[in-house]
Amino acid sequence: MRRIEALRVVAELCSDLPVVATCAATSRELAATGDRENYLYLLDSMGLTTSVGTGIALAVEGTAVSHAVVVDGDGSLLMNLGALATAGYLAPTSLLVVLLDNQVYASTGSIPTQAAQIDLGGVARACGLRVTAVDDEESLRRTLGEELQAPGPTLLHVRVDPGNEPDTALLLIDPVVHGARFGSWLQPRLG
Amino acid sequence: MTRTQERHAQVTDALLRLDLDAVAYVPSNSIAPVIRGLEEADRERVAADGGRRRVFPVSREEEAVGLVGALPLAGRFGAIVMQDNGFGNALTALTTFTVAYHLPLLIVANTRGGLGEYNSMIHAISAPVPDLLKASGIATFRLDRRHTPEDWGATVEAAGTHARMTYRPVVVLMEFYDIPGEGSVA
Repeated sequence: MRRIEALRVVAELCSDLPVVATCAATSRELAATGDRENYLYLLDSMGLTTSVGTGIALAVEGTAVSHAVVVDGDGSLLMNLGALATAGYLAPTSLLVVLLDNQVYASTGSIPTQAAQIDLGGVARACGLRVTAVDDEESLRRTLGEELQAPGPTLLHVRVDPGNEPDTALLLIDPVVHGARFGSWLQPRLG
Repeated sequence: MTRTQERHAQVTDALLRLDLDAVAYVPSNSIAPVIRGLEEADRERVAADGGRRRVFPVSREEEAVGLVGALPLAGRFGAIVMQDNGFGNALTALTTFTVAYHLPLLIVANTRGGLGEYNSMIHAISAPVPDLLKASGIATFRLDRRHTPEDWGATVEAAGTHARMTYRPVVVLMEFYDIPGEGSVA
């Protein structure tokens, strides 16, 4: 499965949920599936995605917003593995992490990550998250749909092919405007 | 109550007055009494209203910046309690997230480098922290022995308001050192 195919599934099933996406090619490809107000692109905050998503998950817990969805990558998560420990420690029931694991830093020359040898799903499980491994589009659609009906914290460990989608447009946006757009979408839904 | 204990009490009470939605901390001996005070108040609140704990540890400072820094996107606001040698860890997160996205965040940090510090290595990161923060455009207020404990509390509370009013991270650096025999300066 290509990363953009996984992102299309996320876009399809998470159209009314806050989605926090990791920086560089992943955010660009998510935007390429169709930019939406419920997306927060982390334009250059390396390794921060699951931490930011955990903050959003804490904020939406107990509101009409059922889940905060994190789209992270193996390289990004490895830059801040402590985020998994905190996610497991705080255990927000609204947290759902979609880990797109291609075992390379695809945005920076496809240099291999440690995920080639380390099972990040196992790390997440050890931290207390419920983990499901997914390796094709159909099982992603089914599993993500099921997990969106269940309490978290959850991590879907999604195997995707290495590489970036060619000719994906850069996100030349003002982070202040972008963050305000996301906040304006989210806050009225929190009651 | 010693002067240090008065400072701890003032800072703790100021943070409680801010009614923070979350406080993430990275441990420090100098501000352990503040963390314990916040945790005790949090336990009492949870016992009273059954809500979730709002005061919790994190593994590193940048993680705290991501988590607590995200709260304003949902209309919430929080603080980080840490020591100043962690700003090296936190700087990329602070600049690329909270500064770049204009997200209010209060950070209260005790200083390590400087007068009275026993660890000869820690000066190397702590001494340049104020310049690092200034160069990064992060508003910083400093407290030391020349300020009364009441000043400490008032500054922390005002810094929280300042962060919200300016839509930016704001740092309060707290130097707990007192020169032996100097007596009360403030």
